[in-house]
Amino acid sequence: MLSLNARVNGRPVSLPVDARTSLLDLIREHLGLGGTKKGCDHGQCGACTVHVDDQRVLSCLTLAAKVEDRDVTTIEGLSDGKSLHPMQKAFVDNDALQCGYCTPGQIMAAVACVKEGNAKSEDSIREYMSGNICRCGAYVGIVAAIQEAAPKMRQD
Amino acid sequence: MRSFSYVRPESPQDAIRAFTAAGAGARYVAGGTTLFDLMKLGVERPAHLIDVTAIRGLDSVRTDGDTLRFEALATMSAVASNPQIMRDYPVLSESLSLAASQQIRNMATVGGNLLQRTRCMYFRNGAGSSSTVGVYPCNKREPGSGCAAIGGLDRGQAVLGQSEACTAVSPGDWPVALTAMNASIELLGPAGARTVPIADLYLLPASTPQQEFSIKPGEMITAITVPKTTAGRASTYLKIRDRESYAFALASAAVALDLDGDRVQRAHVALGGVATRPWRAQQAETVLVGQKLTPELALAAGQTAMKGARAGSVNAYKIELGAQTVANALTTAFTRRGR
Amino acid sequence: MTQPFAPLERVDAHDKVLGRTQFAADVRFPNMLYAMLVAAPIAKGHVVALDTGPAYKVRDVVRVLTASDFPPPSASSGQAPPLPTIVNDISYVGQPVALVVAKTLEAAIEGAEAIRPSYRTEPFISAMSNPAAKRVPASPKTVGDAEDALKSAAVVVDATYQTPSQHHNPIELFATTAVWADGQLTIYDCTQAATMSKLAVAGSLGLDPNKVEVKSDYVGGGFGQKGAPKTQTALVARAAMLTGHPVKLVTPRGQIFHLAPYRPQTQQRIRLGSDSSGKMTCLAYDVVQENVPGGIFGVANYHEAVPRLYGITSYLGTGSDIYIDRQAPGNMRGTQTLCACFAMESAVDELAYKLGRDPLELRLANDTTTDVLSGHPLSGRYLAQCLNEGARRFGWNRRTPAPGSMRLPDGTLVGWGLACGIFHANMGASEATLRVGADGTTRLVTGGHEMGQGIRTAIANTILHDLDVDPSKLEIVIGDTTAGPQPITSGQWGTASVVPVTAKAVSQLKAAYDQRAAGRQFGGNLHARLARLNCPYLEVSVTQLAPGQDPSALNVMRNGGLAVAGPAYPQATAMSYIAHFVEIQIEPGTRRIRMPRAVSIADVGCVVSPRTATSQMYGGVVWGFGSALREGTEVDPRYAGYLNADLADYVVAVNADIGKIDVGFVGDPDQEANSVGVKDMGELVMTGTSAAIANAVYHATGKRQRKLPIRIDDVL
Repeated sequence: MLSLNARVNGRPVSLPVDARTSLLDLIREHLGLGGTKKGCDHGQCGACTVHVDDQRVLSCLTLAAKVEDRDVTTIEGLSDGKSLHPMQKAFVDNDALQCGYCTPGQIMAAVACVKEGNAKSEDSIREYMSGNICRCGAYVGIVAAIQEAAPKMRQD
Repeated sequence: MRSFSYVRPESPQDAIRAFTAAGAGARYVAGGTTLFDLMKLGVERPAHLIDVTAIRGLDSVRTDGDTLRFEALATMSAVASNPQIMRDYPVLSESLSLAASQQIRNMATVGGNLLQRTRCMYFRNGAGSSSTVGVYPCNKREPGSGCAAIGGLDRGQAVLGQSEACTAVSPGDWPVALTAMNASIELLGPAGARTVPIADLYLLPASTPQQEFSIKPGEMITAITVPKTTAGRASTYLKIRDRESYAFALASAAVALDLDGDRVQRAHVALGGVATRPWRAQQAETVLVGQKLTPELALAAGQTAMKGARAGSVNAYKIELGAQTVANALTTAFTRRGR
Repeated sequence: MTQPFAPLERVDAHDKVLGRTQFAADVRFPNMLYAMLVAAPIAKGHVVALDTGPAYKVRDVVRVLTASDFPPPSASSGQAPPLPTIVNDISYVGQPVALVVAKTLEAAIEGAEAIRPSYRTEPFISAMSNPAAKRVPASPKTVGDAEDALKSAAVVVDATYQTPSQHHNPIELFATTAVWADGQLTIYDCTQAATMSKLAVAGSLGLDPNKVEVKSDYVGGGFGQKGAPKTQTALVARAAMLTGHPVKLVTPRGQIFHLAPYRPQTQQRIRLGSDSSGKMTCLAYDVVQENVPGGIFGVANYHEAVPRLYGITSYLGTGSDIYIDRQAPGNMRGTQTLCACFAMESAVDELAYKLGRDPLELRLANDTTTDVLSGHPLSGRYLAQCLNEGARRFGWNRRTPAPGSMRLPDGTLVGWGLACGIFHANMGASEATLRVGADGTTRLVTGGHEMGQGIRTAIANTILHDLDVDPSKLEIVIGDTTAGPQPITSGQWGTASVVPVTAKAVSQLKAAYDQRAAGRQFGGNLHARLARLNCPYLEVSVTQLAPGQDPSALNVMRNGGLAVAGPAYPQATAMSYIAHFVEIQIEPGTRRIRMPRAVSIADVGCVVSPRTATSQMYGGVVWGFGSALREGTEVDPRYAGYLNADLADYVVAVNADIGKIDVGFVGDPDQEANSVGVKDMGELVMTGTSAAIANAVYHATGKRQRKLPIRIDDVL
């Protein structure tokens, strides 16, 4: 077992981890944050997207041990809990979801997509959101939501 | 997955020492996007992981001087979005931005990407992990067990460079672009530093498909250098996939053109998705030199690039697709002349 | 219900964007154990030895379950047949042979991988192309003499179409968490049929069904995959009983490919005859599909829909199962009708070209109001309106008919195609309890499952449409057997079943209030008015049958059985309809196939939840795109397992694949279908899409595509 020290959603965490544990399983099974989803466990669906030091990554292909001394943000840490993040609000307003299973990953990817500057056109959004599969097929709403949220995020 | 030890050395020397001390079953890991995946599949079973990402000062991108220099731990996304590379070497930036997804590009490094392993379905399946079902022989995964892809489902398999033992496609995009652009790879190992041309990094499968790279035990990639050339501006990476994004290539082409007006002075052509290693197409380059680039010439170069290709049961389309991919890439590169 | 429904916000959207919605894999309990399956790598044979020792050597492994840990299957309890648990006779690749339970997920995985049973293998048949495979014909469906009519038809299209095996691949993995406490099993399971799942577990484990409850509050995408009870539910339940700890299993996707039902491969022959004026007269449709003995996915359903598309007078529907050694195929979005519509609507396009007629005009000219199978009228049929509205939005009149005639300046080939879809409007027997409190709360309990289709939102709209209650304190309880029976939600009868019963409950609750109020008028919403009446709450319980349905259906439903009626109701046959228009572009040289735009217009009767219905329409087009141009599961016949058993090699649509999609609804509530006139849409939205796309590819290239998926290799 390794000892891990990191910050998750702004709070310090310190716990022993198996070297084999993925960041995804750490978040879900050890930290009890169920919003981040396992859809493939092999880097093929994007449902497990979280931010590490403000960069979007796949938590299923990240060894938990790698986030030593780093900042992890999950869907639970995106807004303060009282109000929605502009991207979350835009997902609701554009019905950019159906079953909701891929949604946390979509939103974490979408927020990063805007911050990276990759949400400047419809085509760019589509390309830079292609790492997140939505099997319900909510892509039309997802693109619309990002277009709506991007200017609001830039104002914040 | 079995347990393994895990260390995070902070210097290349410490990493090499850790590797040597660990003995058999040691592996370096950087982004981990390939290795951790293959560990879950049971294809890779390291006993010791030496995480090199805590090494500081090994992630810079240098564009001054006569060569471009990419240190191994620069992420794919960082290099892909480097404004100078985007402007002067679109073939390089596109080969990165068309690979995987932004999440993976934020994790994966340009050094580690060179060592990505094949996506052959028979290689990935059948190692007995919980992630997969079934038993499939594969000489690359288990030397001597046979190649199930030969005589099997071969739509994705190579048509160039394959052997009786293996038809697995080399999966990368960035290595194809680097191959076209005459890159060199800087290595550091227990016996010191050395530099190899990228052409020497990748081995043909022949009778030993398990040996994919010419890297020696304990060696790590520290940097990639690319000689600067004006051909970089008239360049592109074209990747044809089964969907518009987030997929491996059925066929891809990295091309760059040195032009005198409409005439090609020097050409760089390499292919991906169709061959068992990043495939430099020197004969196609020869076809182009001294000629005015027309659609007909572009297609002739593409067809030359695929000369000698051999198809299996259903992958003959790759021969035509490879030629057309080179042709379209040449046309795109040509339109970028004089930018 | 005369006012149209407002496009209310999806009721669970807020929780979903916050990541708060709890799926079966998200539950956690103290001292919970983790499980992992061991899957057989052989298609047929027997486990001759299974040494659990290596697994027990793995630190933190607690228990290994094998065949001897399960009781022999008992007689059927209720309507659901008991599922086999772990048995040593192997009949498909991926069949579970052991379940390893450990204190950590990592240990469970390592333990499962340490088990290497030895097998005695037997010869197997892995594909329907194998000439040794047994072929079992189904009884034909006959109206008139189609063979004879084909002989005298002026024009006949005779063509064979092929569709591949496909897998649902919802992003949610198969997840089961079981808790055994005080002689009671509580199972958190991702299922579209909680009661069926409960009874299957009880049957498999020999338990009193009253001691088993299943909770499936939210399903992370179903599409038919989670309809039939899963083997793993009973295995995890047994593990919880044997260990005395809560046990969770989240099955890896590679295994799910081999365990879950899938859309079977088909070969379909259409013979469609018309007179010289283009009037379709006769249709002979033969389908051959892969199946397993006793498989639930029957041939008969291929003949439910296509005979009802046009005004033919004779029909011959035939078909056969070809038995293979694989897991059982099952319902996948669009079901048999999806494949049938691909064949039929491609053939109609071929007929249009043979006749030199416009494919839109030919379809409109062959519209009908009679169900050829029953002789009854087709109720609420607005297919022509779908076609006309779609054509208008798409700009169909700008199409030039000759294949290859609509190129872009750069040489890109452009093809415009259209096709119709159709699906039966079934309805299930249902019951509901509605309580409105003076404290501001409203609670509705009924039977159904939320898989993203928006059933909760449709129920909420039904309540809020007619009842002035506080939407923020409206609780809709479905998917939970502790609250009431939860019949299977599939076959697009979910909303059509719960909305009428909800409407009935609303109406009775209003009547109950009126009786209490006795003419007194109060201000405020219903909660406030109840307070004024000093009435703490009003509660009504109602049941609802489909038109003409026997009242015994209610008990069938309560016992986990299929209690579904339609589409042939006593007065009329109720179908839902859709028309798809797509533009396909094929780039020069490298020939990538793209779909820059699509228009889909549907007639689903009453649209109870416009917002979620619109999203379903988008989803149907995306699914249709994937089904026609991307998806196919590949089996190497020498091994019988699926090779592209992941989301990298089983290619589903990504965001960059999808262009502009315009969707809309036409028509009116269909009162022959049910009291609210809702005909539902989950399956319908996809039917016809693949033919529209294939027809557009033909229009672009002049090369007819009769095999799916259509990929670069097919158009180079």
